[in-house]
Amino acid sequence: MDLALIAWFVFLSPLIAFPLSYFAGLKWKNWSGIIASSSIAVSLILSFILYLYYSVPVHSSYNWFYSFNYGIFVDHLSIAMVMMVSFVSLMIHLFAIYYMGKDPNRHVYFAETSLFTAGMLGLVLSSNLLEFFLFWELVGLCSYLLIGFWFFKPNAASAAKKAFIVTRVGDMSFVIGLAVLYSSLSPLTANPLSIPFLINNMPFVLSVLGSGKLALVSILFLGGAIGKSSQFPLHVWIPDAMEGPTTVSALIHAATMVTAGIYLVARIYPLYYYSGPDVLYTLAIIGSFTAIFAGILGLVVNDIKRILAYSTISQLGYMLSALGLFSVIGLSAVGYAMFHLFVHAFFKAMLFMGAGVILLTLMELRDVKRMGGLWKRMPITVSIIFIGALALSAIYPTAGYFSKDEIISAAYVYMTSSGAWYYALPWIFLTVGAFLTAAYTFRMFFLVALGKPRSELADHAKDPSILVLLPLIPLAILSIIYGFFRGDFLSYLGGSNNLYVPLYIKYLPLTLALLGILVTYLIYGRETWMHMDLSKSRVYSLVKNKFYMDKLFTGSVAERGILPISGKFASFENSYNTDVEKLGRHALDLGTAMRKLQSGVIESYFALIILGSAVVFIIALIVGVI
Amino acid sequence: MTAVVTGIDALQYFIPEFILGITGFAILAAGMFGSSRKVNASITFVSLAASFVYTLTMFNHPVYVLSSTFLLDNFGLYFMLLFLAAGMLITFPAIINISAKSEIFFSLLLFTTVGMIIAASSSNLIVLFVSFEAVSTGTYVMTAFHKTERTLEASTKYFFTGAVSTSIIVLGISYFYEATGTFYLSPSPAIISSGAMLVSLILLVIGFGFKLAIFPMHQWAIDTYDGSENSVSAFLSTGSKLVAFMIMLRVFVSGFYGDANDFYIIFTLLAIVTMTYGNFSALSETNLKRLLAYSSVAQAGYLILVFSAAGYAIGISDTNLMEYAVAAGMIYSLVYIFMKGGAFLAMNLSSTKKVDVSDLSGLNKKSPAAALSLSILLLSLAGIPFTGGFLGKFFLFLALIEVKLWWLAVIAILNSAVSVFYYLRVILVMYRGEPSENIKVSSLGVIPLVVCAAAVIILGVYFALFSTVLGFVGGLFR
Repeated sequence: MDLALIAWFVFLSPLIAFPLSYFAGLKWKNWSGIIASSSIAVSLILSFILYLYYSVPVHSSYNWFYSFNYGIFVDHLSIAMVMMVSFVSLMIHLFAIYYMGKDPNRHVYFAETSLFTAGMLGLVLSSNLLEFFLFWELVGLCSYLLIGFWFFKPNAASAAKKAFIVTRVGDMSFVIGLAVLYSSLSPLTANPLSIPFLINNMPFVLSVLGSGKLALVSILFLGGAIGKSSQFPLHVWIPDAMEGPTTVSALIHAATMVTAGIYLVARIYPLYYYSGPDVLYTLAIIGSFTAIFAGILGLVVNDIKRILAYSTISQLGYMLSALGLFSVIGLSAVGYAMFHLFVHAFFKAMLFMGAGVILLTLMELRDVKRMGGLWKRMPITVSIIFIGALALSAIYPTAGYFSKDEIISAAYVYMTSSGAWYYALPWIFLTVGAFLTAAYTFRMFFLVALGKPRSELADHAKDPSILVLLPLIPLAILSIIYGFFRGDFLSYLGGSNNLYVPLYIKYLPLTLALLGILVTYLIYGRETWMHMDLSKSRVYSLVKNKFYMDKLFTGSVAERGILPISGKFASFENSYNTDVEKLGRHALDLGTAMRKLQSGVIESYFALIILGSAVVFIIALIVGVI
Repeated sequence: MTAVVTGIDALQYFIPEFILGITGFAILAAGMFGSSRKVNASITFVSLAASFVYTLTMFNHPVYVLSSTFLLDNFGLYFMLLFLAAGMLITFPAIINISAKSEIFFSLLLFTTVGMIIAASSSNLIVLFVSFEAVSTGTYVMTAFHKTERTLEASTKYFFTGAVSTSIIVLGISYFYEATGTFYLSPSPAIISSGAMLVSLILLVIGFGFKLAIFPMHQWAIDTYDGSENSVSAFLSTGSKLVAFMIMLRVFVSGFYGDANDFYIIFTLLAIVTMTYGNFSALSETNLKRLLAYSSVAQAGYLILVFSAAGYAIGISDTNLMEYAVAAGMIYSLVYIFMKGGAFLAMNLSSTKKVDVSDLSGLNKKSPAAALSLSILLLSLAGIPFTGGFLGKFFLFLALIEVKLWWLAVIAILNSAVSVFYYLRVILVMYRGEPSENIKVSSLGVIPLVVCAAAVIILGVYFALFSTVLGFVGGLFR
């Protein structure tokens, strides 16, 4: 069986569906969703075939130009990733057939989501970092299009722009990293950006680049990952990205977009552990700080989708910090991070789709403070959200418990492995993060599910037909049981689970999570919160304003920093603009004058030929040719 | 090594010519029994395609035939393929333009193509001259087809200018003979620096430059492209133009062998003047066919940049860079056929003979496929990335930069920046304007455009083609 060919079609299938679903959708609207979904089903089946028949890494690549190749590289990591991406994406697509069912532009939607998925699958299978980068940008472009899918809403349009521009900052860093790596390696090797080459020849790469430059490259790549995976300080785009359709949020948060950053680090992980402990510490500290930072922000938001968005940022922080713990868990770090990524994809897709169902019944009412009492009215949907909330809060025995608490345990070992005080920070952040996760998750859940309905719409809410919720069921099952496959998963990715921590450390995060649930229940489960007035609290307003991060970027950096400068440039340009316009007019006049030569009189043509030839001869004489 | 074949065996190397020639007579004969336009076009297309396929089998066996007057190397074969492709491109669209006596038109097309592929398979100046004249004569008649006032004027101007240039070529060839004592193109460096040889080279630049439409010899082209039928314009500005380019490559790449006297400066000056003249004149032109004709002049300027780069490279005796420059020109020629040919064929979408920019206004509303394809072709002419035009210009300018002619590359890039203006103007009109009444959408009008646009896009991402073409150049220098 030609695995390479199969791997090509894993991402070609949705790519082919991209124009098909659009053009079919022009005529028969309902077909576009079916075409897109079935193309992704094909991807899923092909990824399974890859999984079943895989024996050795498959690398097939062709020359594109110069020393840049394009091709596919299949190993355990990419197989696992394509299975997850195509599976979750398929579930979301199936759900979207219902969710987007009434949108007049749904053929555009499905064309774009299949392109989105194709971009992500192509990124996962890329054999060359340049190819990886192109797919990376394709994913970025699709996220822009989809976040702004309801472009007639000003919020959505500006959110799409924000997502695009903020991730561009990271992409810039990524592309500079590519340039540095390429320029250093290209004199010495034929194909410097090939992924299999990089991950198999790290000693050589290290000897060529030297540790300083290698660390620089790793950090620059990390910059790309931070932008894409929305880590601090480039996390600001994700909450606004909630303006898109909820299924898009599910895609972005679970399968296609934000996981790309983590996958980039995992894909070229040897680059990181050869870069030395400082770079790895950077991963751990950025990840863990983001985990706690986003957790705090999640506590004060009232928009149900934004709460989930902050939880994504926070969970991605866990994954990134797991990748920084190489010194204690070795190559299992990839497995730790990827396992959390998988579990997170399952329950986050489910949570978003559950939230989508609620939003559809409540006519896009997103304020959790105006919901309430939905458990009685939408029992199935809210139960599914409950499972998701448990998994997100990492309560035993859901998969979240296995994936997250092991990372926290590893961070504890990381702390004890070194005497330096700052090695304790990741563990502290992640442990507090566990409490915060449970707190913001259940704050949302209690506000949604318990109490009395606090709006007319919430009072009349009803479960949709069970058929609609069908795609959520496999995700729910996986969210519950997938944790028990952790050992298999780790060994598939070439890691192992042999971490020993004291029992009280092991169960500390779980205890804190349960405590978090208890505290939130006391406040939000019983309507105590209605009597609290936080608006005067300075801490509350600090958090409510997202630590002024957005204000910093838009206010200080953009408005006070960049805008005045660009204003000066603008006035500088304006003064020249008139001159430039004159230049353009003169060019036009010059052209018109030149065309006067074209009199239509053939005698004058001959005259020009003879004159011109004479000039050529004279010039030849002058420059000394003759 | 290049083999030498003599006697009756040599005939097998002329099968492409035989296919075309015999089919040409067959079409004439069939015309007497009233065969329809479509039948004639189909037969023409099939014979061109058969010839194309046979030519493909001839690659990689360079051979001298008929007392070395003919040389079949990869370089020539590559251009043979281009000429056949140019012929195939206009065969079906010509059905729209040719209303009567189609058998004469199609047999002319075939005979002209025979002239072209003979030109591509020789390195003897006499054979080159005769085949060049065969192409010229064929296209004179094709231009005058229908004998309307417009076409006759176009043809007359073309013919008279052609006659002047023919005499200049003959003069150049006689100087060449005076200098070398032979008509074969592989003179030794010592002879090259002789005065007679250099006079000959200048005369040949001017003579062949006429067909390429470089600056002082370009004026016929504007009127002729404008006045002749659309598919004839397409053929003139692709196939016939590239014949001149190919011959110039043959003559000057050999002639440059040991360019001790900075002959490249002549080409550089001509290129600058030609590009600038073409681009600026097109800026405010409103007649779309004339606009394309001016752009065709500008493109000729880009093409002869190859000689600047190659000449300079050989001046510093760097054969690799020279081959690089020539290969860049060959890639550009390939792309050029589709983008320029396609753009001229797009004139078939207008029902008027004289096509103004405003005649294609609102094309997007009548035929989105045609509007998109024409936009791709125009963007390619402007050199926007992910089109073949970008790739051609990329390699061309890279060749200039490689030989350290930075300033020339900058002038060329500025020129293509200027050109974006008038191409975008057309695209803007197609998408923003109100639909014009003169638009006439037919499948024969649209399909060639789509084919050309697809070819341009494929060539735009198929970087690997360059190394293949680079391999063809080696045969040029012996």
